[in-house]
Amino acid sequence: MQKRRDFLKTIGGAAAGAYVAGRGLPALAQRGGARGGGAPAPAGPRKQISIGGRRVTVIDVHSHCTVDGVAEVVKGTPFERQAGGRALGADRIALIDSEGIDVQVLTINGYWWWEIQDRGLADRVVRAQNEGLAKWVSDHKDRFVALTSVSLQFPDLAAQQLDYGVKQLGLRGATVGGHVNGESLSDPKYDPFWAKANELGVIVFMHPGGADNIVKDTAWKARGDIGNIIGNPLETTYFLTRLIFDGTFDKFPNLKVCGAHGGGYLPSYFQRTEVACDVRGNAMCANKKHPREYLKTNIMADTMVLTDEGLRHLVAEMGISQVVYGTDNPLNWPVPVEMIVNHSTLTNDEKIQILSGNLMKLLKITTPATA
Amino acid sequence: MATRRDFVKTLAAGTAAAYVGGRSWSDLLAQTGAPKRREVFIGRKRVKVIDSHHHLNIADVARVVKGTPFERQAVTTGDGIIGPERIAWMDRDGIDVAMLTQQGAFWYAVQDRGLATEIVKAQNEGTAAVVGKYPDRFLGMASMPLQFPDLAAQALEDGIKRLGFKGGGISAGWAGAKNLSDPEYDVFWSKAQELGAFLFMHPGGTNGNGDPHFAGKGALGNTIGNPLETTIFFSRLIYEGTLDKFPGLKICGAHGGGYLPSYLGRTDAQCRRQDDVCTAKKRPVEDYFHTQLMADIMVFREEGLRHLVAELGVGQLVYGTDIPFGWPVTPDFILNAKSLNDAQKEAILGGNLIKLLKLSPATTA
Repeated sequence: MQKRRDFLKTIGGAAAGAYVAGRGLPALAQRGGARGGGAPAPAGPRKQISIGGRRVTVIDVHSHCTVDGVAEVVKGTPFERQAGGRALGADRIALIDSEGIDVQVLTINGYWWWEIQDRGLADRVVRAQNEGLAKWVSDHKDRFVALTSVSLQFPDLAAQQLDYGVKQLGLRGATVGGHVNGESLSDPKYDPFWAKANELGVIVFMHPGGADNIVKDTAWKARGDIGNIIGNPLETTYFLTRLIFDGTFDKFPNLKVCGAHGGGYLPSYFQRTEVACDVRGNAMCANKKHPREYLKTNIMADTMVLTDEGLRHLVAEMGISQVVYGTDNPLNWPVPVEMIVNHSTLTNDEKIQILSGNLMKLLKITTPATA
Repeated sequence: MATRRDFVKTLAAGTAAAYVGGRSWSDLLAQTGAPKRREVFIGRKRVKVIDSHHHLNIADVARVVKGTPFERQAVTTGDGIIGPERIAWMDRDGIDVAMLTQQGAFWYAVQDRGLATEIVKAQNEGTAAVVGKYPDRFLGMASMPLQFPDLAAQALEDGIKRLGFKGGGISAGWAGAKNLSDPEYDVFWSKAQELGAFLFMHPGGTNGNGDPHFAGKGALGNTIGNPLETTIFFSRLIYEGTLDKFPGLKICGAHGGGYLPSYLGRTDAQCRRQDDVCTAKKRPVEDYFHTQLMADIMVFREEGLRHLVAELGVGQLVYGTDIPFGWPVTPDFILNAKSLNDAQKEAILGGNLIKLLKLSPATTA
């Protein structure tokens, strides 16, 4: 199996792009406003978003970070080089200030720690990540919430970590990748984790890493960084599709699983999935309900489809309650909050639902935007 | 490379759905006779319905592959063999003319140039014979040995010039090292451009493909594998500059063109944030889809169709059914679409292809 190391490389590469001042930024500006990206954002006034004259809270469900305490835990292990890379600091606050984000949901998304075979080490890495996140959140109470990392290669441990993270550390859910060392998360062995998420009623944010579980060989060695551009939505599509067809959502009907990047291809191209069980004689579907039922209840997606028409379509397919604002912060994707605020077909109420309404309760965010 | 045997197996499973109310078309014909031919009208206007996505098998291929490792790949029976049952199906659904593309692509794995040539020749002459037998109902499309770009160019030219075909059908695959955007394929693309060929891209290289990730529930080799193959294929032609090198190409992607037309934003967003990965591509992604790339309408639901129309424009969309597989896409899918006006419906059902391929507007081929 290909290691997840490439994920970090990809993210690293993307960040490098973001740091090159000037390059690509004019195009970004044309498309919908330049964003700070990975570049240290100048400390400036906090941008405040209003819709219809009303100040609205903006929650960003999709961001990346690492915590420094992990380096010490993995020192001297084969995972030494995996720690770190995207530490939180004052520049993050400046960034969300400049982008009009009131509350950012922090997740650590490399999932390299799922390769750790030593249960104790796996637990210590996750503990360090979760405590690091909890510390940052408690130091910046009104601006951040965080989701737990879990050691999903040990499903029972993952369930404990989620429970501990939510109940003891005040974290608001969990973040997962699209596969555990090549295995589908719909495999019954992962049921303990899903059962815990189901019981706690918390969000599970899924972020892909280039579909290295599916596409191998040289297929991704091409222009366009297609390992990211196609691989990421592919991994998410595959992940969500298996949760549907393998019956995971039927077993755990309370789940709320949010797929990054508009949930991959699945919501935007849902119809083939929708008819597969009826048309394909070999489909063997285990799902009890029509696939669209899951799309409208269990599955959520961030808004990263990057065009006005794409977002209209996403909302039309999923329903407004399932779509939430996400930026991929601090990577410099062109997804400014104006994409929602100035959307050509959404109503003001729908915009507010996407920007924060859908997430307030699920993430237990009670503080309204201040200032 | 994994053999394409899994593809045939998947297709065979799919044919079960082609049965009508539990009976096969041949049973139905024997018992109730041929259905009345449906004539599609929009308002009072009889409109020509052209199915761009319509498969066949040629039984004569069995003769060519006999005694070779590909012996079991030939399909000699079933719904892929065109006869009165197929005409009955088209009549019932209101399809006036269908463009015939060969089922599967097993012959891409043939390493012997002579054998590959012979297989394709049998397929293409068999297709020409079907068109000759039902000249009002079918248009031919060439099959080609794409593993040999020069032979593929020859087969396309032969199909168009000698056999009267309108273009050719291609598959792409993605698991192997070769990509159709590699410069060695320039000879093929150049010929297609020169001939003004209409290329219909249908995935088939990824179904199952021996990858355990596509095993299991949901027929994922088809449900995900098919649109994935088309997505990678189109993305490469765009990012690698193939479509800029050959601006006259017209390529239609099966199944709504895969994921890409329904999820266009990510392609150019990447170029805007990381332009060093988009060094060959010269135009915005939409531009390729407004000019060179087309898609059939196999997205099954009106919202999906509305999105395709918004992203590609009506002029790039063509009707397609995937017959003989039982996907739910009769002309009513277009006729009942509330977001389309009459002119748009007519364009998708046949008008766009009439214009592109300079076909007669009469309701025969």
